[in-house]
Amino acid sequence: MNDGMTLRGGWNVEYNYAVGTTGKKFFDALIEKKIIAPKCSKCGLVMLPPRSFCERCFVPAEEWVEVGREGTIQAFTIVPVKFESLPEPPYAIAYVLLDGADTALVNFIRKVDLSDLGAAAKKLSIGKRVRVVFEKRRKGTINDFHYELIETGQARRQRSKK
Amino acid sequence: MSHRVAILGVGMTKIEGAKKDQKLDDMVFEASSKALADASVTREGIDSVVISGCDELDGRCISSMLLAMPAGAYLKDEIKVTDEGCYGVILAAMRLMTGLFDLSLVISWCKTSEAPVSDVMRMRWDPFYHRGFGMNHITSTALMAGVYKSQYGIPMDIPARVVVKNRKNGARNPNAHLQRPIKLSEVRSSPVVSWPLRALDCAPESDGACALVLASARKARELKRDPVWLAGFGWATDSYYLGGRDLSKLRSLGIAAGMAYGMARIKNPLKEIDIAEISDFSSYHELMVYEGLGFCRPGRAQDLIKEGLTDMEGVLPVNPSGGLLSSNPFTASGLFRVCEAYLQVKGNAENHQVQGVKRALAHGSSGFCAQGNAVFILSR
Repeated sequence: MNDGMTLRGGWNVEYNYAVGTTGKKFFDALIEKKIIAPKCSKCGLVMLPPRSFCERCFVPAEEWVEVGREGTIQAFTIVPVKFESLPEPPYAIAYVLLDGADTALVNFIRKVDLSDLGAAAKKLSIGKRVRVVFEKRRKGTINDFHYELIETGQARRQRSKK
Repeated sequence: MSHRVAILGVGMTKIEGAKKDQKLDDMVFEASSKALADASVTREGIDSVVISGCDELDGRCISSMLLAMPAGAYLKDEIKVTDEGCYGVILAAMRLMTGLFDLSLVISWCKTSEAPVSDVMRMRWDPFYHRGFGMNHITSTALMAGVYKSQYGIPMDIPARVVVKNRKNGARNPNAHLQRPIKLSEVRSSPVVSWPLRALDCAPESDGACALVLASARKARELKRDPVWLAGFGWATDSYYLGGRDLSKLRSLGIAAGMAYGMARIKNPLKEIDIAEISDFSSYHELMVYEGLGFCRPGRAQDLIKEGLTDMEGVLPVNPSGGLLSSNPFTASGLFRVCEAYLQVKGNAENHQVQGVKRALAHGSSGFCAQGNAVFILSR
């Protein structure tokens, strides 16, 4: 027994992640307020986040299409507590199936009052329509945009090619 | 299966919130030496060692360099799986089936108390499209729970009853981390940590290590043992990208189960399996696993809970050990499920033993929203 002695140590490793040509193309388009996605030449799957190949057909995906700036919530959560190294609570995130895409893309949902969790969860229900809102200053990263609810939109189920 | 694989023994440390008195390799040594003793074999007899750990949670690069030794691999074969611990059983079993090896030790561990778990889970996401959005193991599984709840209109009492069931079972398991039974009202009033999950809907974070000794059929016969057989196993992986998945179901689990059932010739799992030890990251997740394993039709897991079919006294008790909602040594949790299933078939589960178990299922899972799944059937 050592009555619970611990030794403090840390692990702080920094990386320089290569974005790659597929990612670069996507991020460059964000600066131009466009969301573009690669489309599989075989099955036609329009993939977000962008990938250089289709993991299902296992062929390169070289064709690109522009997807819509509105979409449907497929999954969401609201986080009211603080987790180590995660953003300051409360925050809401959602996977949104943008019109014309076949796979949903995650981002923050902003401008929703999160003070009453139950009420917020009702507002953000699955099937609700959201729009993409681009930031004024864009740097070519995934944080160049976020989602906001389209208040008048009726919830609707939307099926993708899954 | 032409080359059958036997399980000769298991070893588990007690699962606790923080094992402050044991260095990581102490804990690993305890599990491996207990497994060898339970199987009545010595380290000298072992010809293959399969270990599974998570470097980032261990806080060491290539942690097998340190931990191969307490796993018994000194100057022996050793190979590592960097996935959920139960994948070590798959690799070890396949190596035994080649005929190149006869006696294998499989081990996994996790000391969550030493690691920044949330941060490591955040780092599992790619840095471009996901990492900045506050997703870890809990908030991502909440996304899936929300989809399932919405798809089938799951009343809040149903997941809460899953928690009550597992915690009640865990209270009978002296090895469990959380041993206090809880009431429905406690689940309902616990704070939301990520909508729709409340604190008590989520598995805790625990420390623990466990190991199994596997043998070829030839070796099991030579040692004149009365083993438990690995009658079937299967595994599959879904997409990394949650946005391309139907989060209301666990498709890779269905595939893994189909493979295991085919090998074990199981047609009606609810009737033919006596107990199941599954990886329940959350209460909602346990419901989804019932459906992935084919215990019921999609959306009907709630009926199994309402009718008590998966209680200790039910037709198919699920998680007699208390499951992950009682003890969650993270990346080792699936291998603990295999050990618990072994104890049940062997009749050695003491206070949480289900009577007359001939065939047990164990399930392990890894990745965000259970991307990967593995299923094992153990039988007499």
